[in-house]
Amino acid sequence: MRPWSSLVKATVAAAMVFGLCGQSGPAAAAEKKYDVYLSMSYIGNDWQAEAANMVKAMAAQKDFANKVNLQVQVAGPNAQRQIQQINAMVEAGAKAIVVYPISPTALNGVVKNACARGVTIIAYDSEITEPCAYNVSIDQEEAGRVTAEWLVKKLNGKGNIVVITGVPGTSVDTLRTKAAKEVFAKHPNIKIVAEAVGMWSQAVARTELSKILATHNWDQIDGLWMQVGCYTANSMQIEAGRKEADLKPCAGEGANGGRIQMLPISTQVEGANGTYRPMGAPRISYASPPYSGALALKLAVEKLQGKQIPKLTKLPLPIVTNETIKLCKEGSWAEMKAGCNAFLPSLVPNPGWFASIFSAQTPEVGFQAALVGQPES
Amino acid sequence: MSATSLGRGASPSFALPLARHRGLLVALAVFVVLLTVTDLVSGGRVSYFQVSFLSSGGATLAIAAIGETLVVISGGFDLSVGAVISLVNVVLATSMRDNPESMMAWSMAGVGIGIVAGLFNAFFIAVMRLQSIVVTLATMFIVQGITLLAMDKPGGAIPPTLSTLIVGDAVPGFVPMPIVILAAFIVLWLYIKSTRFGTAIYAVGSDAEASRSTGIHVSWIQFGVYVLAGACYGLAGVFVSAQTGAGDPLIGNPMLLQVFTAIVVGGTQLGGGRGGPAGSIVGAYVLMMVVNILLVLNVSAYYSTLAEGVILFLAVLSGSLGREAPLARHVREIIARLRAWNRGMLPRQLGGANRRLAFVGKSAEAAAPVHPPFWARHRESLRYALPAYICFLVVILATQYVYDSALFSWQYYESLIVLSSFLAILALGQGAVILTGGLDLSLPWSIALCGVLLAGMVKGSDAALAYALPLVLLAGCVIGLVNGLGVVFLGLSPIVATLATNGILQALALLYSNGTPDGFASPSLRWFMTGHILGTTPVVPFVAAFVVVAAFTLSRTPFGRRIYGIGNGERVAALSGITVGRTLVLVYVLSGFCAALVGSLLTGFSGQASLGMGDEYLLPSIAVVVVGGTLITGGRGDYLGMLGGVLLLTALQTLLAGTTLPYATRAIIFGLVILGAVVALREKN
Repeated sequence: MRPWSSLVKATVAAAMVFGLCGQSGPAAAAEKKYDVYLSMSYIGNDWQAEAANMVKAMAAQKDFANKVNLQVQVAGPNAQRQIQQINAMVEAGAKAIVVYPISPTALNGVVKNACARGVTIIAYDSEITEPCAYNVSIDQEEAGRVTAEWLVKKLNGKGNIVVITGVPGTSVDTLRTKAAKEVFAKHPNIKIVAEAVGMWSQAVARTELSKILATHNWDQIDGLWMQVGCYTANSMQIEAGRKEADLKPCAGEGANGGRIQMLPISTQVEGANGTYRPMGAPRISYASPPYSGALALKLAVEKLQGKQIPKLTKLPLPIVTNETIKLCKEGSWAEMKAGCNAFLPSLVPNPGWFASIFSAQTPEVGFQAALVGQPES
Repeated sequence: MSATSLGRGASPSFALPLARHRGLLVALAVFVVLLTVTDLVSGGRVSYFQVSFLSSGGATLAIAAIGETLVVISGGFDLSVGAVISLVNVVLATSMRDNPESMMAWSMAGVGIGIVAGLFNAFFIAVMRLQSIVVTLATMFIVQGITLLAMDKPGGAIPPTLSTLIVGDAVPGFVPMPIVILAAFIVLWLYIKSTRFGTAIYAVGSDAEASRSTGIHVSWIQFGVYVLAGACYGLAGVFVSAQTGAGDPLIGNPMLLQVFTAIVVGGTQLGGGRGGPAGSIVGAYVLMMVVNILLVLNVSAYYSTLAEGVILFLAVLSGSLGREAPLARHVREIIARLRAWNRGMLPRQLGGANRRLAFVGKSAEAAAPVHPPFWARHRESLRYALPAYICFLVVILATQYVYDSALFSWQYYESLIVLSSFLAILALGQGAVILTGGLDLSLPWSIALCGVLLAGMVKGSDAALAYALPLVLLAGCVIGLVNGLGVVFLGLSPIVATLATNGILQALALLYSNGTPDGFASPSLRWFMTGHILGTTPVVPFVAAFVVVAAFTLSRTPFGRRIYGIGNGERVAALSGITVGRTLVLVYVLSGFCAALVGSLLTGFSGQASLGMGDEYLLPSIAVVVVGGTLITGGRGDYLGMLGGVLLLTALQTLLAGTTLPYATRAIIFGLVILGAVVALREKN
């Protein structure tokens, strides 16, 4: 029958497509290499891509290059598929699986099952609540609290603020927002005049802020608390014809664009353009650091080598204020260790790129790792 | 569309039943091939554990797809599926206790919640006769809001006993429970199908008017379908709870597109009258197997959406090959034309007189001058377009009341127009596609890819903008061309063709940008979206001009007339001399062009492009078109109505954004307003 023959052809064609795309998994890998898998949720944003770059760089660094066989897979936004994927990884003989969990709870069953078969499961950024899993993340409540306290102090406990949150229904967003609102509630003169959902995206932050500004104007706003979007908020104030000196204090994300804006206005930086330039913006900049995946991989390998690793690795909250902002020249790990935390626009053309990439625990990965997946030499 | 309702008697050979179940058989074959490839490449036998795990992992999707399939066969759409699953999941996770009574009661309650949501849909669709896609869109927002009120972050717990009961083993070591349950579903379906109700579902989906004429009570059939579907979603919610053992208010939402994909892969045609739940079950498991295939073949991350798009494409393409399929027909047509051309027999080669039908005498001209008054001529358009504008006015008044500055503030209207510009442009493309009876799901990544391309080429230089913008708009047209060719020449369902394209575009955007898009808009592009000229943003007059051109194109040009012709009946349109294929391709090209324009404007608005920037525009682009009075099945609606939908939606979002209402409440209000707008659109009959 015709349909069948065409089906066979189609399948052969599909196989060929995959043969070309996939880097044809080397079944005969060198002996004693650990099979480690990375299960990501989604790759359609800056943070995820950067985190994946850093994991790849960690796997490629010289100590790991002949020890670790890393395979990266994407599950998309659906938890069922990540469950299926993790299980397939266990079946494929994974020794450890590094996970960016779509849901902190939905994976518990499959993770428990994987643990029972001796696979190390380690989650980064977001958490897995199953007790046998290892977690690497920041304290989200602390992030919400510290940034809110900074804003209250900057406003001397009095003023109208705008709040832009993240993705509703996620633990990270709920914990951060709740902690921040608890701080604001303690100061009766701090008034939240508008609140919108920002989806952790600069583009969404801009449309939401534009909607808010249709019915409010900048003079009625004294400060902003945003999970992502301070870069955009500052840009919008400049576009509206306001002066750099009058920028509203903004507590928000660790994007490089925002960090550059924090530099004193007289700073000379190569590649500055538009509103991606120093303007002395009053800011506190924090982030869920994208190196957490790389650290998770490093810990997983240590565990495979027989070391004990903690169930929960609490990362120090990377906080940068106008007092601590410092431009990097090259962005090597050593330079960042000395305290620099913003990168030249000529090296990072994308202002949404996350600049919180330094960790004392990961000297293997620096600026080049986050940018292109190259480990420090 | 009528194949299934005919010839239910004994057929002379096996050919007919085989042909009738071809969709299912192809899906089954694809599944077997995937399983075999996985097995061969991973070099091991498929163990019982794997089968059991796969069966429980795909069960939620499969059960949800069964419910949605009923709706699709009856000619409808149900967008509330994912939201209902989430709601059931969080209710169970907060309420269920570890004892048999509680588990039984709350499992029933879960199904009950699904039924209540189904009743809600059924009331508005079957009794109030509203379009299913808008009603269920509204239900989706309302249910999502309720879910977040019930649980604001993942948590809670489901007793593990429930898990062993319904996703464990039926016969330990041999048969997993989900397989038994799905088999029971198939048996139940075979029974339903043999009843009058079952036949009527197909009849209603094939042609509601015809089945009404034959005495079928269409409303009751639709009512039953949505309630049954709701029950399935409820059960799917119970399943996902058992599988994951906890609650997550977002667990079901991303399943929406997958449910439709599973249905289409399973051989059920969107639009109604054909297919069956068995195929959808297989389709659901094909989608789960794709995860394993990508893993064993080590497809790298950036290629995974590309590979998925290709698999989706091949799965449905193999079902539409054959002598009578569109591709073969078009090839035959082209060959015939070439032969005729070779022999010099083409009409234009023959030359000769104008072969158009001549109007008889002067009677046509004599009849022409009678001009009915404006209201009479446009009564239908006005009736469908006005509700959106009236609601828009109400929202403006509400805004004025809440903020004391809107009605007489130019700043308000200016922001509103700037924010509306994206949807106003998308509405033309999506609207034209919907008017022909299609749907363009490739918008999100068309927008993102075009934005990323533009930013990458421009890199802040106005000189580069001069050539980059035309190139990007051309790229948008090419994307549309691919969609259009898929729909016309391969005969793919528009949803599948555009969904596959969307996945492929996502991969292209990731590969081009290497995960982090660089480049930024040039000063003039930024000025266009955020600067000022003569007291207004430059994009405002542009939108005004665009609206005039768009309205004119759809209502006054031959191209526009052809679109309506096709939407009212493709066959009739073809027989009356409309070049259906060419027009359809052009419609998708238009949609691609609009997406590229929006991608460029968004890049100017934000100053740079980001990968997910199109995600927020897919559902709104459909919602505004339908709220503006357009029929989702095509043929009715006009651009000014859609514009009313755009203004209403944007004004409503603006009103809500300035408040401190929690997101959950806003989602509920949003859903209710959409519902209110379409209730006003109701056909009085």
